[in-house]
Amino acid sequence: MSSNNGLYPGLNLGSVHDEAHQQAEATVFGFWVFLMSDLIIFGILFASYASYLNPIGMAGAPGPQALFNLKSVAIQTAFLLFGGVAYAGVSLSMKYDHGAKKLIGWLLICALLGGGFLFFEISDFIDQAAKGGKPQASGWLSSYWLLVGLHGFHVFSGIVWILAMVGQILTRGVDDVVKVRLSMLGVFWHFLDLIWVGIFSFVFLVPLA
Amino acid sequence: MTRPNTGELQPEEAPGAELKSYAVGLLVSFLLSAGAFAAAFSELPTNWKVIIICLAALLQIMAHLRNFLHLNFSGGQSREDLLLVMFSVCLLVIMAGGTWYIMSDLSGRMHQNGADHAMERPAASQGL
Amino acid sequence: MSGQSSPTFGNLDWEVTPYTDLLEHVNSSTIIGAGAASVLVLGAFAGIALLTYMRWWKPLFRDWLTSADAKKIGIMYIALALVMMARGIIEGLVMRAHQATALGALDKAETGLVAPDHFAQLFSTHGTIMIFFVAMPLLIGLINFVLPQQLGARDMAFPVLNQVSLGLTAAGAGLVMVSLLIGDFGTGGWTMYPPYTGLDYSPGEGVDYWLWAILISGVGSTLTGMNFAVTIFKSRAPGMHLMRMPLFCWTSLCVAIMLIYAMPALTVSSAMLALDRYAGFHFFTNASGGNMMNYANIFWMFGHPEVYILILPAFGVFSEISSTYSGKRLYGYTSLVIASMSIAVVSFMVWLHHFFTMGQSAGVNIAFGIATMIIGIPTGVKIYDWMATMWRGRVRITAPVVYLVGFFLLFVIGGLSGIILANPSIDYQVHNTTFLVAHFHNVIIPGVLYGMLAGVHYWFPKAFGFRLDESWGRRTALLFVGGFIFTFMPLYVLGLMGLPRRSPTFQDPDFLPWMYIASFGAVLMLAALFCLLWTFWKSYRHRMSLSVPGGDPWNGSSLEWSTPAPVPEWTFASIPKVQARGDWGETKRAGDPWRAPDSYADIEMPANTAHGLIIAGMAFALGFAMVWHIWWLAALSFFAITAALIWRGMRVIEPRIIPARQVEEEDRRFREYVAGATPITRADEESERNRGVPDCSEFAG
Repeated sequence: MSSNNGLYPGLNLGSVHDEAHQQAEATVFGFWVFLMSDLIIFGILFASYASYLNPIGMAGAPGPQALFNLKSVAIQTAFLLFGGVAYAGVSLSMKYDHGAKKLIGWLLICALLGGGFLFFEISDFIDQAAKGGKPQASGWLSSYWLLVGLHGFHVFSGIVWILAMVGQILTRGVDDVVKVRLSMLGVFWHFLDLIWVGIFSFVFLVPLA
Repeated sequence: MTRPNTGELQPEEAPGAELKSYAVGLLVSFLLSAGAFAAAFSELPTNWKVIIICLAALLQIMAHLRNFLHLNFSGGQSREDLLLVMFSVCLLVIMAGGTWYIMSDLSGRMHQNGADHAMERPAASQGL
Repeated sequence: MSGQSSPTFGNLDWEVTPYTDLLEHVNSSTIIGAGAASVLVLGAFAGIALLTYMRWWKPLFRDWLTSADAKKIGIMYIALALVMMARGIIEGLVMRAHQATALGALDKAETGLVAPDHFAQLFSTHGTIMIFFVAMPLLIGLINFVLPQQLGARDMAFPVLNQVSLGLTAAGAGLVMVSLLIGDFGTGGWTMYPPYTGLDYSPGEGVDYWLWAILISGVGSTLTGMNFAVTIFKSRAPGMHLMRMPLFCWTSLCVAIMLIYAMPALTVSSAMLALDRYAGFHFFTNASGGNMMNYANIFWMFGHPEVYILILPAFGVFSEISSTYSGKRLYGYTSLVIASMSIAVVSFMVWLHHFFTMGQSAGVNIAFGIATMIIGIPTGVKIYDWMATMWRGRVRITAPVVYLVGFFLLFVIGGLSGIILANPSIDYQVHNTTFLVAHFHNVIIPGVLYGMLAGVHYWFPKAFGFRLDESWGRRTALLFVGGFIFTFMPLYVLGLMGLPRRSPTFQDPDFLPWMYIASFGAVLMLAALFCLLWTFWKSYRHRMSLSVPGGDPWNGSSLEWSTPAPVPEWTFASIPKVQARGDWGETKRAGDPWRAPDSYADIEMPANTAHGLIIAGMAFALGFAMVWHIWWLAALSFFAITAALIWRGMRVIEPRIIPARQVEEEDRRFREYVAGATPITRADEESERNRGVPDCSEFAG
């Protein structure tokens, strides 16, 4: 029992082998540390966004009222929320050995929902650019595009990672290494939700409130 | 209270409890997101709206951490991760809060006292 | 740069080298520029020729470049740092020589050894190199080498990631080096403040060189910090509680924390500046709502923790050597731990003191000024602890102790001038003068440089199996101390007399005597550099008489001294079970420290891989392509990096197994050697009789 204590959620490593567990623990912990570094990047971008959110920062270019489409933001939020929860399917079917097929199925659902999010986000960006909201138009728009765009890029990387994991499951099977990577991917995927909560609240809703 | 899957895994254990934890997380997140959007569209005074949105965001972040990322104080790795996240948030508050403090002061001294109300909003410090 | 951009070669053409300038105008400035480029080219050719002639290519590739062993990676970091340091010190000398000849008149501003623009490149590269490619690799290398050994681990938590970090740092350093030959470097100082470094005022490739060197090596440093943190939290030997770790491990933990949380700020500020320059964004421009003050804010959010990233490992080294060379336990272990951690956390609350004069209200300045003064308290605690450690100890005046004493004397002065600068009203008087330049050199040289060189001297036998020559070591240390005093004390005076930093010229003849003294000091620093190289060479020549196969030449107390020298790849034949703080010292006191383990097991080590090398090459290509706007190459190398990561993920990678029999054989040989060697007392430590087997009746740290 004690060898299992402190193991990561969803990790059901084949052998009860102390070193494998320790390595898995260290790896996922390391990934958490990396994400915290990423969190600081987002945090500074949030703070910068706030510091450009004034008439001087907007420099006469279109502002939040003219550019933001809250309906689309709500749709994106829904996509991302359900995409995050869908990863529960991955975690649980990995933990309870439901087989590679189910695992891949859930992964693809996550990727699809993430893709849906990206579709709406990119069409928003195109729309905003057409209305004169290009990042070159003002300091505020620069910070908006960088913050939201960086999050979008993270989602895109997450999708690439999901596809790479599908490839790994197909080529090497669901071995211990793949399991550890899937739980890191899970942490990443849920982390993107967290950032998005910050973005839709503070980037979109607060300036319009 | 549902038990989040901290990994004290018994192979015969059924995924029911965990599913429930995820379901609760989904429900709470959904309601909080919807609440935030509803507040933004409502006729409330601006300050109230901002407070509601911030509060909803904070609660939702906590729900995500607890129900989806399984962080808690129950011991082992989950606890270590939670402490890591809390330490990071402290530093983030110092850095983002400091940025807000410095930049708003500077912009105040650049003769835009009337114009910088947008910056006074607590939009700065929550990266999570 | 001719202004035409071709699809194949971007902005590159045949006119980008300093030889073009030399052909146009022959003067001291262009000669120095072309000379530096020639040194780079000839140095590269000489290196290639040497490797080929000695048939070292294969061993270099097999044993070093593809190795994932943290100890070797550490040594490579330090080698990289020493190469870059040579360039940095020479640039410093050229700058001092320039200023000594730069007394101009108002109608004739351009005087002196080099042209103003060239001078600006010199101080920009000097700062960038010394901070990012000398100090950082030195300390990261030393931590890589020492940390796992002190923790009782065989390697870092993520060995291949470690290799990638080294590769990225080297790629960044490579970009700065290439700028000697191809194009110019930026002229905005090591901080590259916009709007001067924006596209409007710095249209060339110079700032881009800086940006990509910083962005690429910054990613490497972040990953390194993460690696250190996970190693400390997850890979300690059984029984090695946090409060049993040697002080160096604690300061490494502080460094890790600061790398993880401070490097992102640098990444953000550089990425924003890059977007301004490449994509026409308006973060820091004058027009369209840009706000350059935000750059200073974000940059120093990184910049101040960076200062403590640099200094804390040196504090760790000084903790180790003050105890070992005094033959006493470290005084005030707990207070040193608390002081280090407080420094690490408080260092995130003081960044505004780098721009007191930017125009914020007095209240804001005061808040950060007080925080800055508070940081002096834990630092003071440390100094007292080290002095108390040495008090009534049997101190041996070895080279590291000379560095330590030099550090005591000079660092306190530097710290005091820092407290002076922390007062905003005084800062208004002396900011942006050479007083500031003197201050930060006064903390960084006695702190980082002395600390790291002391550490290199202290752990050198562990890495290569022979001690460094003590006499030449002491001479080097004294030269660095003297060189520092002569170079930088005059800058305090000049600063108070009103000389702005980074001035290519000045009109007041009263400055001249001080300039001459500073130039003399710079010559001493160069002499110290040669003396350091000579120490290495001389010790290498006498490596047989200096060899210490017993592995414990200084009668140390931490785990790394329990293994042979040079330390084997697997470090510990069997992972030690730690019982106490200073475990090795306690074991020696308990008697029979070199008892063989009961049994030997197969050891898993990470397999060699070229992963780091490939990523480093691609990252260099990416940076270079972005600098010169060669878009196809940039895209290609970006996708190549992604593909390399995905490809490695697909493969099942087996660790290398070292059979128990081989480990046992080597370990028994070591133990037989120790049993047969004559133990020596401290009095004989510098003599040839020191074979690394100390007399256990003497107290070990």
